[in-house]
Amino acid sequence: MKMNNDQAWLKKKAEQEDGCFVSVGGLVEALDQTERPANNIVPIKHAFVRFLQLARRERKLSLDQFAEKVDVDLVELLKIEADEQYTPALRTIHQIAGFLSIPEQKLMALAGLLRVKDAQFQNAAMKFAARSESVEKLSREEHSALEEYVKFLCER
Amino acid sequence: MRDPVQIIDCTTREAVEAELFDEVTIEHFLETQKEWRPFVVAATKLLVQSGASAEIVPSHFHWDWSRKEADLRVLAFSFFGIARKEKLQGLMKLQTVGRAGRLATQKGKPLVYVDYLETAPWNIKPLMQALGKRPQFAAVGTRLIEAAVRKSLEEGFKGRLALHSLPGSERFYLEVCGMTALVPDPAKQNLLWCEFTPAQAEKFLTGGAA
Repeated sequence: MKMNNDQAWLKKKAEQEDGCFVSVGGLVEALDQTERPANNIVPIKHAFVRFLQLARRERKLSLDQFAEKVDVDLVELLKIEADEQYTPALRTIHQIAGFLSIPEQKLMALAGLLRVKDAQFQNAAMKFAARSESVEKLSREEHSALEEYVKFLCER
Repeated sequence: MRDPVQIIDCTTREAVEAELFDEVTIEHFLETQKEWRPFVVAATKLLVQSGASAEIVPSHFHWDWSRKEADLRVLAFSFFGIARKEKLQGLMKLQTVGRAGRLATQKGKPLVYVDYLETAPWNIKPLMQALGKRPQFAAVGTRLIEAAVRKSLEEGFKGRLALHSLPGSERFYLEVCGMTALVPDPAKQNLLWCEFTPAQAEKFLTGGAA
C-alpha cells in the first residue's frame, strides 16, 4: 500500500492528532442504555459500594482483576466506587450478581435501580454500610459483616 | 503486505520509520492485552481519581481482541497494524462488505467501515500525561485512517469510509480528519456516525486543511 511520504503533511497531521483519542469500537457495554431510577427511590448506594468493595477485597482482587472476572468495564467499576450518585448499567449488576452468586433483583435494589419499599431491606443495608466503613485490610469484623449480609440477601 | 510508513517521534518531532502490515494474528491481539492493558489501567485509575472529565477517560477498555479471533478468517474483514521496531503501535479492523453510505449524497454507495481502531496507550497524550510521561509516537491514528481510506480506494469505493466514533474521539474524526457527522445512531448506542465522502477522503490524503 503506497502511503503519503510528504513529511510536511505528516507533521501537520501529527500536530492535529496531538492530544486526541482516536479509539473506535468496543464500548457496547459501557454505553449500555440503563433505565434510570425513579426519583423517589431510597438511595442505599453507600451500602452497595461498600458491599462491592468488601466482596472484591475478600476475594483478594484488585479493581482491574475484578473487572476482568465479572466481565465489566473497568471505568464502570471505577465510577461506581468513586461516585455514589452514579447509576450502574443493568448489565453490570447482572454480571456482578452472577459472579457473587447474589440474587440479581436484590443487587439491583441495592444499586438504586429498583424501587425499595421494604424497611427491613433498607435497614439491613444501612447497618451493613455502617459496620463496614473501614477501607483498610478486610478485618474479621468486616468479613463477618459481609458474610452475614450475603446470607441475608440470599435467604430473603 | 508489509510496507514502510513514517510516524512521528514525539521526542525529536522527526519522522521515523515504521511498518504498516495486514498479516494480523492472534499474537497481536494478545500483545494489546498484555502490553497495552496495564498502561490503560494505570492511567485510567489516575484520571478517574483526579476527577478528569469523562471525555478524557478512555472508553475503549472493554474491547477484547481474543473474542475477535474468528474474524481474522472472515474475508469481509481486513486488519491492519503499525509496528515500530517490531513493537505494535496501533491496530485496526475494517469491514469491507455490506456497509453503505448514509450521507444524502452517498446514500447506498458501498464504503469501508472502521469496526475497531486503537493506538498503543503510550501514544495517547492524555494517558501519558496522567502517568507523568511524554507520548512516544504521533500520527499513528492518522496513518491507520489513511490506510483505511486507501483500502477503500483499492476496493473501488472511491475513499468512502465510515465509523461510529466513541464520544472522546469525535474531535479527531470531525476536526482533524474532516469527516461529516450524522445524528447519533440509536442502533449503535447513540454513537455518532462519521463518514468520508470521496472528496473529503481525497482532501485528507492530499493534505488539504481539515
